[in-house]
Amino acid sequence: MLNIKNLHVAVGGEEIIKGLDLDVGPGELHAIMGPNGSGKSTLGYALAGRDGYEVTDGSVDFAGQDLLELEVEQRAAAGLFLALQYPVEIPGVNNAYFLRAALNAQRKARGEEEVDSMAFLKMVREQLKQLKMDEALLKRAVNEGFSGGEKKRNEIVQLAVLQPRLAILDETDSGLDIDALKLVAEGVNRLRDENRSFIVITHYQRLLEYLVPDRVHVLSDGRIAESGDRSLAQRLEREGYAFLDTAEA
Amino acid sequence: MSALIEKLMPQANAEDDGSFGGLRKKAQRVLMQHGFPQRKTENWKYMPLGLLEKRTFSDAGPDTSAAPSPPPFPFKAGVIHFHNGRLDPEACRLPDGVELTGMLPADIDVSLLDDASPADAFAWLNLARFEQGWKLRVEGRPDEPLIIATTCDDDFAVAVHPRLTVQLADDAALILVESQSGEGAGLINSVLDFRLGSRSSLTHVIERRFVETALIQRTTACISDAADYRAFILDGGGRLTRQDLVAELSSPGATAGISGVATLSGRALVDYHTAIEHRVGGTESHENFRILADDQSVGVFNGRIHIVRDADDSHSQMNTGNLLLSENARINTKPELEIHAEDVTASHGATIGQLDDDARFYLRSRGLSDAQAIALLKYGFAAAVFDAMAPGAVRDWLTDRLKETV
Repeated sequence: MLNIKNLHVAVGGEEIIKGLDLDVGPGELHAIMGPNGSGKSTLGYALAGRDGYEVTDGSVDFAGQDLLELEVEQRAAAGLFLALQYPVEIPGVNNAYFLRAALNAQRKARGEEEVDSMAFLKMVREQLKQLKMDEALLKRAVNEGFSGGEKKRNEIVQLAVLQPRLAILDETDSGLDIDALKLVAEGVNRLRDENRSFIVITHYQRLLEYLVPDRVHVLSDGRIAESGDRSLAQRLEREGYAFLDTAEA
Repeated sequence: MSALIEKLMPQANAEDDGSFGGLRKKAQRVLMQHGFPQRKTENWKYMPLGLLEKRTFSDAGPDTSAAPSPPPFPFKAGVIHFHNGRLDPEACRLPDGVELTGMLPADIDVSLLDDASPADAFAWLNLARFEQGWKLRVEGRPDEPLIIATTCDDDFAVAVHPRLTVQLADDAALILVESQSGEGAGLINSVLDFRLGSRSSLTHVIERRFVETALIQRTTACISDAADYRAFILDGGGRLTRQDLVAELSSPGATAGISGVATLSGRALVDYHTAIEHRVGGTESHENFRILADDQSVGVFNGRIHIVRDADDSHSQMNTGNLLLSENARINTKPELEIHAEDVTASHGATIGQLDDDARFYLRSRGLSDAQAIALLKYGFAAAVFDAMAPGAVRDWLTDRLKETV
């Protein structure tokens, strides 16, 4: 699904990702952990194509396409989704209107039929219900006035409606209480199948109790320093990141 | 600006009309004495009146051609239609409860003739040159809105001075929609006066978009006790548009709201000068105006709140938000508060900025193209001003028009 080779990314002229290799197969969930400043969010933004995140070397193959050649919206239509650590508030833009416009823009780009408003509302209402979110949020502006937890759950609503092939969740668990965390995890787990892949960026092992990863990677100073199964996350929880210095030494 | 006087007052003497002759002559005299505003006239400093000097206004003459039908609207409404500045009363369709008659001298507020400021020059010009004034009287609550449609031909090249007074009787209510458009390089110099009776309610919608037609419009709303005036403005730009809008809260319980958005592109220049006068206590007002300026367009907003001495228990709130969409666009925005009473609340806020890059990326990351993202952000910024409008067919029409302009 995703093959990243020797990726280098600079932000503001400073190199943050310094040669990263990562392979994510269809249906796999990979966790990426690492200390602050290690490049976790940078990876997410670079894959999504955000301005200011300059890929200076390396390649990214996404389902047979050169991801780096695609514009931001083309990557979305190709099936990439980034759930932001800090979802953006967009005053005046109605949640339902925006999400339907986004879904139909992607479907149109893929040559698929657009979804009519009735079918769309039915779909999104079901997602809201499962994430225990008030339907009234549909009429509100995107993320405006939402609590932190609601913003994160709204990202999962979008994820569920847009049905990407690869979802990158950037610290989706930060700021969530245990109940909200479980809801988010359940929402993600409902979407797991043999074709859809996830990259879950997180600081804490706690989320991974609910979103059980196939692989765990530790990002340090712009590179993957260590990879393993879920026991690696448990080790980090016990020992912190100090053991990486020993390993690198 | 004597060149402008020659352009707009080519005849030495105003027409000697039996009923208005005295007023016309006085207006002409005042105009000749004080002249048009110059760059140093504070409230007109951003208006390039030299543009009007460069135009050639042909002699109007009687317009014997049949006016085209007004544009269609997606809701049922009465219509009165000014074409090239003239109204054909026979072609009007009025809702029940609305009556149209010719204006009388008693209907004209002449107090501005006593003021020496060139800021009123275009109102003086209107008084000197208007051909036929009209008066609408509204009783009760007509069950459909009234549209005042203003259209101009492509070859419209005259200066016209329409004049209209709208009186709402006590307890009356009306939705009045001004829909204005024009291509030709003429001038519409319009005066519109509202007089709201006790407990009456006027929703005043202005939707306008011009190409080369210059519009200078002065609108005054006198709001008496417990009456309510709400203006909602959507301006899609024009080569030279100036709107003065004054709301006078003259009795306790009077309320006024002005909500507007101007979406400007090309070489459009629009200038909104609003003034809300709290003449007595126990009055409320709020104002929310937004300008989006792209290309080389220029947007001007000057919003004045004036609370006189002893007008205690008055409350006023003003916000203006502005979005610059290109390097060469310009916006001049100035909220003004002049408060002489002690026990009041009055607030104002003004922001000016550009599109949020984070928001733009967020929308694109969900699949919208950059153009779609920009349009959605512009719409979201602008549409908020119409939140205060009651839901219904007119609001739907207005927000659809907004979508077309962004």
